[in-house]
Amino acid sequence: MTVQAPTACPCGSGLRVARCCGLDLAAIGTGEATRHLLPLVDRAIALHGKGEIAEATKICLDVLELAPGQGGALAILYQVRRQTGPLSAAEALIRRMVALNPNNIWATQELALLLFGKGDFADAEGHARNAVRIAPDDVQSHNLMGMIMTELNRPQVGEYHYREALKLLPHKQPILLANLAWNLKNQGKMAESRALYGESVALDPTILQTLLGWARMEETDRNFARADELLDQAEKLAPNNQSILLQRAIVRSRVKDYDGALALLDSIAKLSRTGTLGPNEMLEKGRLLDKMGRFDEAFAAFVEGKRAALELSGNAYLEAHAAQLVERLKRYFTAERLKIVPRAKPITSGPRPLFIVGFPRSGTTMVEQTLSAHPKISAGDELTIVNDITELMPRMLNSPLAYPEALADLWMGDQREGLDNLRDYYLQRARQLGIIEPKTVWFTDKMPLNETHMGLIALMFPEAPIIHVLRHPLDVVLSVFSNHLTHGFYCANALDTIAKHYVLIADLVEHYRSQMTLKYLPIRYEDIVDDQESGVRRMLEFIGAAFDKRCLNFDENTRYARTASYAQVTEKLYDSSRYRYRRYLSHLRPVIPILEPVIKRLGYTIDD
Amino acid sequence: MTDDGLKTVKKTVDQWRAEADAHEKAGRLDEAEALLAKIIAAKPNYHPAIQQAAVVSWKRKRPLEALARFERAMQLAPDEALYHRNVCEVLRAQGRLDDALAHGLRAVELAPNDSGSHYNLSVIRYDRLEIADGIASLQRALELDPKHASAHFELAEAFLLTGRFREGWEEYEWRFALPNAPPLLPPNDKPLWDGKPMPSGTLMLIGDQGFGDTIQFCRYIPLVAERCPNIIVACSSEMRPIVIQQKGIGQYYDRWENMPAFDAYCSLSGLPRLFDTNPANIPAAIPYVKADAAKSEHWRQRLDALTPPGYRRIALAWAGRPTHGNDFNRSIALNKLSALTALPKIAFVSVQKGEGQNQIGSYFGAAPLINLGVEIEDFTDTMGILANVDRLVTVDTGVAHLAGAMGRPVSILLPFAPDWRWMLDRSDTPWYPTVTLHRQDRPGHWPSAITKLIDTLQG
Repeated sequence: MTVQAPTACPCGSGLRVARCCGLDLAAIGTGEATRHLLPLVDRAIALHGKGEIAEATKICLDVLELAPGQGGALAILYQVRRQTGPLSAAEALIRRMVALNPNNIWATQELALLLFGKGDFADAEGHARNAVRIAPDDVQSHNLMGMIMTELNRPQVGEYHYREALKLLPHKQPILLANLAWNLKNQGKMAESRALYGESVALDPTILQTLLGWARMEETDRNFARADELLDQAEKLAPNNQSILLQRAIVRSRVKDYDGALALLDSIAKLSRTGTLGPNEMLEKGRLLDKMGRFDEAFAAFVEGKRAALELSGNAYLEAHAAQLVERLKRYFTAERLKIVPRAKPITSGPRPLFIVGFPRSGTTMVEQTLSAHPKISAGDELTIVNDITELMPRMLNSPLAYPEALADLWMGDQREGLDNLRDYYLQRARQLGIIEPKTVWFTDKMPLNETHMGLIALMFPEAPIIHVLRHPLDVVLSVFSNHLTHGFYCANALDTIAKHYVLIADLVEHYRSQMTLKYLPIRYEDIVDDQESGVRRMLEFIGAAFDKRCLNFDENTRYARTASYAQVTEKLYDSSRYRYRRYLSHLRPVIPILEPVIKRLGYTIDD
Repeated sequence: MTDDGLKTVKKTVDQWRAEADAHEKAGRLDEAEALLAKIIAAKPNYHPAIQQAAVVSWKRKRPLEALARFERAMQLAPDEALYHRNVCEVLRAQGRLDDALAHGLRAVELAPNDSGSHYNLSVIRYDRLEIADGIASLQRALELDPKHASAHFELAEAFLLTGRFREGWEEYEWRFALPNAPPLLPPNDKPLWDGKPMPSGTLMLIGDQGFGDTIQFCRYIPLVAERCPNIIVACSSEMRPIVIQQKGIGQYYDRWENMPAFDAYCSLSGLPRLFDTNPANIPAAIPYVKADAAKSEHWRQRLDALTPPGYRRIALAWAGRPTHGNDFNRSIALNKLSALTALPKIAFVSVQKGEGQNQIGSYFGAAPLINLGVEIEDFTDTMGILANVDRLVTVDTGVAHLAGAMGRPVSILLPFAPDWRWMLDRSDTPWYPTVTLHRQDRPGHWPSAITKLIDTLQG
């Protein structure tokens, strides 16, 4: 046995590892045994209240060295770390509080909020749900659920919780109203959203975030002048605020004042600490330069934006993970095996899914907008349900294995209907989302890269149409490179990893198609731009829906698509979106060897 | 023996070559290649080894390497008949029929008494549809070697292709003497049936050749039953649901060890000869095969769910069994059918089985293509699907016969020089009245056949 020297915990709490992240929670004594320390804790609380942070911290560290489970000391130290950092320490401390006392509502809410701030929505959701379980009549519990579910693209669930929170308050609370307004904007309910923003600002006109959100909403609804007014108002509250300037640049860009937008971005750069733009602003700048025909400068901005994004997030392509998943899927989904795998029974009543799949930036949003203009087709947008099912599968099929191997449990006598259950779970979730409009027969699910799970989709929905949107791979790679995206194992942060993931998934799709019976229709983005009506007719016939002229005017479809493509789908089809790669060919050279075989197989060529 | 190669081992080059030859004949192609590579490295201009290496390349399915080696050997020894003779087949498989012909003629010129050279030349003539010249070459080959089974069989094909059925059937009997032909049945002392009535004895009919042949010739079984009431059939289990539908079969066996006693035997493909079949008297009681009602209903539902309503359903098969000797001529790459896929309101239903299925992954035509081949367990499924499509479009493979026997509309895409049974210069066939033939205008040129097919589909 070796004895370890007492070392500071790497989380940065200031405690020793053995008293912090290396702690065995089961070994902690009862609160009663540490009662003698309470006066010290009270003193720390008092000091913290007076702002004497260093002294408060020191006392907390002493207490926790003796009694590492002491709740009061943990709470004070957490608040200190939350304020001054590091965030990893704050997270470790608040997680410990929740673990020691799962019924601590304050700690649970804090943890959910912290995770929400980190963008870790899935984890945050679990704790927010706990908060509702512990305190169903607590406003913050519902507010948290509202925020998290809105960001998780389940705004209908979020709306429910915001409205619960509002009911619990005796008076209107402006931030809550603004949160609900943002939620409704995400559902495309612009009039209601506008009214709530108005109410919120009337109650408190000094909240910057509210004005910014409102401006975003008006910009989305194409009220650019109103958006500018709101930004003027915000500007008075916070002159030279970068978020305001960025939002203004976006508005300028949408009214095609590219020079104006660019000037705003440059002023943001000058204002920033580093003298340069953040990743999102940099990508926005690249897209502006692209529209202005300054392609080399645009590409340089994309490179810089992606470099910064990678540096900031640390999210590099999980190449091994992706390759391993694809390998396992190919190994599982083979014609031989599928002969003995059951299929879910066809849906006999109620709305049924229609899958629009494709690599991000292939035109899936445009296809969904087109199809959902049809009176019998509802727009589901990017539904995470298929992905969720891959996560939940072991539990739902009572399998010790992960997806896809968990499907082996379909051979158990008590899991013969397992796929029916997965299918029903999907349908129930879709219904809950409230996306299905009355009298519609189909609803779309256009989660990009759902083609990764095309095998599972066909097992759950053997008769569901799968429309695969194809676009010249070099255009796709270029477009992903010029936008912020987290899909596809974080492939989007570098040009070569986008190309690699593209090829990986294209191969997987070919595998599925040669090994399975799929109701699959490939459709080219370029063909729709070229001859929209033929493309629309082909898709509707494939689905089994009668042709409807409204689909040809999808730009009038008032529905708001949440994804990065929204500003484009509200414009008529434009020819310049085809073969944009030609302007960037010299920059794309490094990925051509990766993509060339798939470009050829898809029937595209590489032209100057 | 050391592995230092030629220098340290006291073997002549010819001994080395003989060793390589033994490897090649035994199928140890990598060993043969390694040995020949050593010889060539030591003696770069030693053309017998180079030509031998070319043959090994050919057998290792490296046609371009084979061609380069043959060319090198011929460059070193321009008058070696064997090299010209052997390169013929490589060039033929590349579709270079003009070059193949030139070398074939040169081989015959250099070795006028080599039956193999005449035979190889005849095969090229057949591919070029120079049938009269081909028959002359075959007759010369058979003068030199009357027992040259391949030449007899090639002659049968030339006769049958041009409608000379009686002579053709006689030569066709040589098919069992072809090199590598499996024996028709286990050794026995029973006679081959002569076609005469056999009211009391038991006749065993054997499903030989490929699935297509069995489907095509099982139509004779009811006619045989009029002469021999006691028929047992020996055929593969796969063929059972098709063959068993023919009237007059007593029992069906798919394993020799279960076979009861019999008094005479005949192959199914021997029956056209015994019935003196000619183009005017081909028995065609179509349909003589039907889909099972329950299977048909299952596939009707499946197809209703998978294909767009109001679309014509075209079943599709583009590749035959890759081990078929003429597969490079008869199979087509799925993506070559792209002109077809632009037709409006058509859904393709792939009934393709085997390796050809992999091409579905890279099909991106406008018309949807449903991969049903993976759900086909046996021919009862294929029949169920064929009963529910508007037409089958296929290359010359077994499923064409099945759809033809069912009386379903069929389009067969044929190479320039087709199999004998499709004869010449006609778009119909007396074997199957619902079949339309779409022929290449020139060797290897699929677009010409596809254009005719599109006309038919649009008509």
